[in-house]
Amino acid sequence: MDCEEVVKKLYFYLDHEILTEEERREFEEHLEKCRQCCQKFQFEQQLWRLIRENGLMESIPDTFLNRIENVIARF
Amino acid sequence: MKTKEELKELFQSLLMPELGALFRTALRMTRNREDAEDLVQEAITKAFSAFDRFEEGTNFRAWIFRILTNTFINNYYRVRDKQKLPSLDEMEEDTSFQPAFKGTTPEEALLNTLTKEDILRAIESIPLEFRAVVVLILIEGFSYKDAAEVLGIPIGTVMSRLHRGRKLLQKILWEYSNRKNALKKENGREWTVKRS
Repeated sequence: MDCEEVVKKLYFYLDHEILTEEERREFEEHLEKCRQCCQKFQFEQQLWRLIRENGLMESIPDTFLNRIENVIARF
Repeated sequence: MKTKEELKELFQSLLMPELGALFRTALRMTRNREDAEDLVQEAITKAFSAFDRFEEGTNFRAWIFRILTNTFINNYYRVRDKQKLPSLDEMEEDTSFQPAFKGTTPEEALLNTLTKEDILRAIESIPLEFRAVVVLILIEGFSYKDAAEVLGIPIGTVMSRLHRGRKLLQKILWEYSNRKNALKKENGREWTVKRS
């Protein structure tokens, strides 16, 4: 797999989608020997992890939880 | 045939693990807490009234999120919320970047300056078509296939919207980071001038 292909497949790799086991292995092998792609990959991985972690940081207010429990109790 | 009580119990046991995700998704779509709470309640009420037609063992998560997104589009998504879709060129145009301090790469600066508020504001500022796939896949961890089922669109459309959503989100986050770093630099300069 060359740099162009790695860039094209980067998001599929991060999303655990589309790629076959063989393609994932080739992707990883390329990262091991290409510093530029490896840096790009690490940045993208950290960025989307940061976005996900922050996006998930939202707890349900207790008042809303009570409201939903009351709604279900009335079904 | 299940009794109403049995259905209710099953419904609740399937719903409760998804409630947090439903609430977060509703918040990102409506962009305000009050509407988000009303939207989730309405979706849950609709889901329970159709629950006797839900096939046990099939994908409850995708099913209830589909009800949530349809309810949002039908009852909460107003014309004034519709945003002009940016072109791919607009999304992919480069934003120039000036690192605030020597020794900091632009990427490090971006990762270090972003706050939770920046990230949520950026997600909420992208058009709904992209926001929905970004939230479902990148935040809530839906597969491309399940997101396609939730949104009732082909998987290819999910993939292209996700790609554009990502580009757009990144562009906005770079802009936030650039602005913050420029401000930091400006303040640092002022401080040096005042001191001398």
